[in-house]
Amino acid sequence: MKRYLVPLFAMGAIAAAVPATAISGDDKPLYTVKDGYFVDDHTYEGFKTWRAAACDRCHGPNQEGMVGPSLIESLKVLSYDQFKDVIMNGRLQKGMPNWSTNKQVVDNLDALYAYLKGRSDGEITKARVRKMEK
Amino acid sequence: MNLGLKQKLAVSIACLCASGLASADAALDKAMADPGNWAQQAGDNYNQRYSELKQITDKNVDKLQVAWTFSTGVLRGHEGSPLVIGDMMYIHSAFPNNVFAVDLNTQEIVWKHMPKQDTAVIAQMCCDTVNRGLAYGDGKIFLQRADSVLEALDAKTGKVVWSAVNGDPKLGAVNTNSPHVFGDKVITGISGGEWGVRGYISAYDIKTGKMAWRAYSTGPDAEMLMDPDKTMAWADGKLAPVGKDSSLKTWQGDQWKTGGGTTWGWYSYDKDLNLLYYGTGNPSTWNPSQRPGDNKWSMTIFARDLNTGMAKWAYQMTPHDEWDYDGINEMILADIKVKGKDTKALVHFDRNGFAYTMDRVSGALLVAEKYDPAVNWATHVDMKTGRPQVVSKYSTAQNGPDVNTKGVCPAALGSKDQQPAAFHPKTGLFYVPTNHVCMDYEPYEVSYNAGQPFVGATLAMYPAPESHGGMGNFIAWDAGTGKIVWSNPEQFSVWSGALTTAGDVVFYGTLEGYLKAVRLSDGKELWKFKTPSGIIGNVFTYEHKGKQYVGVYSGIGGWAGIGMAAGLEKDSDGLGAVGGYRDLQKFTNLGGSLTVFAIP
Repeated sequence: MKRYLVPLFAMGAIAAAVPATAISGDDKPLYTVKDGYFVDDHTYEGFKTWRAAACDRCHGPNQEGMVGPSLIESLKVLSYDQFKDVIMNGRLQKGMPNWSTNKQVVDNLDALYAYLKGRSDGEITKARVRKMEK
Repeated sequence: MNLGLKQKLAVSIACLCASGLASADAALDKAMADPGNWAQQAGDNYNQRYSELKQITDKNVDKLQVAWTFSTGVLRGHEGSPLVIGDMMYIHSAFPNNVFAVDLNTQEIVWKHMPKQDTAVIAQMCCDTVNRGLAYGDGKIFLQRADSVLEALDAKTGKVVWSAVNGDPKLGAVNTNSPHVFGDKVITGISGGEWGVRGYISAYDIKTGKMAWRAYSTGPDAEMLMDPDKTMAWADGKLAPVGKDSSLKTWQGDQWKTGGGTTWGWYSYDKDLNLLYYGTGNPSTWNPSQRPGDNKWSMTIFARDLNTGMAKWAYQMTPHDEWDYDGINEMILADIKVKGKDTKALVHFDRNGFAYTMDRVSGALLVAEKYDPAVNWATHVDMKTGRPQVVSKYSTAQNGPDVNTKGVCPAALGSKDQQPAAFHPKTGLFYVPTNHVCMDYEPYEVSYNAGQPFVGATLAMYPAPESHGGMGNFIAWDAGTGKIVWSNPEQFSVWSGALTTAGDVVFYGTLEGYLKAVRLSDGKELWKFKTPSGIIGNVFTYEHKGKQYVGVYSGIGGWAGIGMAAGLEKDSDGLGAVGGYRDLQKFTNLGGSLTVFAIP
């Protein structure tokens, strides 16, 4: 997989010739990203789910953590199954809700994982992503 | 000083409770009359946060030292303050809302109350698990738990005397506010504007816990306790009856049912007028395009009759909110000169960046001016209509959903959030902890699901650009003319309630954890001390055995404290503010404690 460095304070779009594609376990791309924030439709649904569930209220607008932990860091450690477990059962003592009754979250769990994994991998460089041009 | 009186008071309370003849009002009034006590969260019913105590003065405050400290054993944000009645201090914590009664003679814990609350509530709380403190009256201590249960505890034993369920936390109806004892009622509000909760304020009988009345912020007149002919509102330069369905007419269809207008601030009470004053919060959702209309009566100052709950007058500050400028901040009652005329005033520093001076008897709008020069979303308030004149560039409704409206000042947390200001009768001025923060705001479409977040906007916040670089100011304000008298820049928002004293000192805390004393006349810093954690609590003072003490909770949290990341994208247009609250982590860490100071 091609990786590239993102300057911290680039003032404009980052020119990247090739979209970055992360490969999930079963050889289907987990997410595809171009120029740091143009993503495939599936990953975009993940972003919309993140937003609708107001995850930023605890994890911060850039997933870097506030009351809740940094997901940039957490997703480097958590397996997909562990991620799913936290979402579906919550960590109530720590203030993480159980999302099993939220249809949008349940239906888009994989997409949410793809989006957050892309953020954690440093391939998706902006929290606010856009859909790729077809 | 009033040692004898305080001791006598403690005894008399005990006797009154035993005989069961106490009027709550009398017991609390008596407690409040002795400046040695701190018997209400604001020290009084007027929200003035002014103390007659004057052992500590602007001449000797630099000698203040720590007298004693107390750990609440709870992390996360600690707002409000302890209460002091006679020889006892009542201390509370953030969730799970533990309460400790401490004997001031020995600093010994006389009783503890540890409520068992469902941890699911933590996730339903919007901005940290804060609790703004206890109330006292009728020999009881009142705790408004996070899970909406209002508890009355026996002040001597901590035993639960009665409890009332005030909302349904499963729907996001939780509580962060302090209950307030006014007359024979315990007044409490509700939180959950980000869950689409339809706001209300409730009055419970102090003796039995039976609900006396409940007034909704939105919906039909009868449920809002509004009289179409007698409830007045400011319109066309004068007061006029609100008319029939004044709320329903300003919402589309059933949207008022999930319309917000929650009531999580500080309330005040004028005994002579028998009026209760409070403000309502943001309309739900944060996406204005989804709720056309003025969304009444969100964002409103209400005056209500304490006995019946009927609204005497209402004034909506931010019709059709597009920025989350909750109107819940405290209503401070003070008799001051307004434009040269003696006035029974109500002064309110709104999140929207305007400070309002109202005639608290009639509800007439007298002054509305910006109390932070950075405020840009509106040019001014039209004094005839009472409506803010919105600047199109900063209108998230006009720019529409999925458009990021940039550079709006103030940010959603307002030029001031709930952190209460103080008044000083000698100067007639108000001393205000403020935020100096701006934001980018991008609304988006959301759908309501009961018990799930219902927000509908993404925000990024940063220090006000082209200013001193910090995120706060502490100011002195003339509410009679609408002008800043002096202003101290602060690195972070000032998220602590202020205290003024007859010793001509003003106290406030900072997010890095300093308790500061500044001179009344010009704000000159006289003393500071770094407490164990950032301060979002309110400074209070009391006297015990002839000595004056000043105390404050530390324990970082709340919207400011947990927003340790400013939310700016590292690769965005770098407003020179990357870091924002993130820098706070260099200065402070979590942990709730009380620090009490005295002059040795």
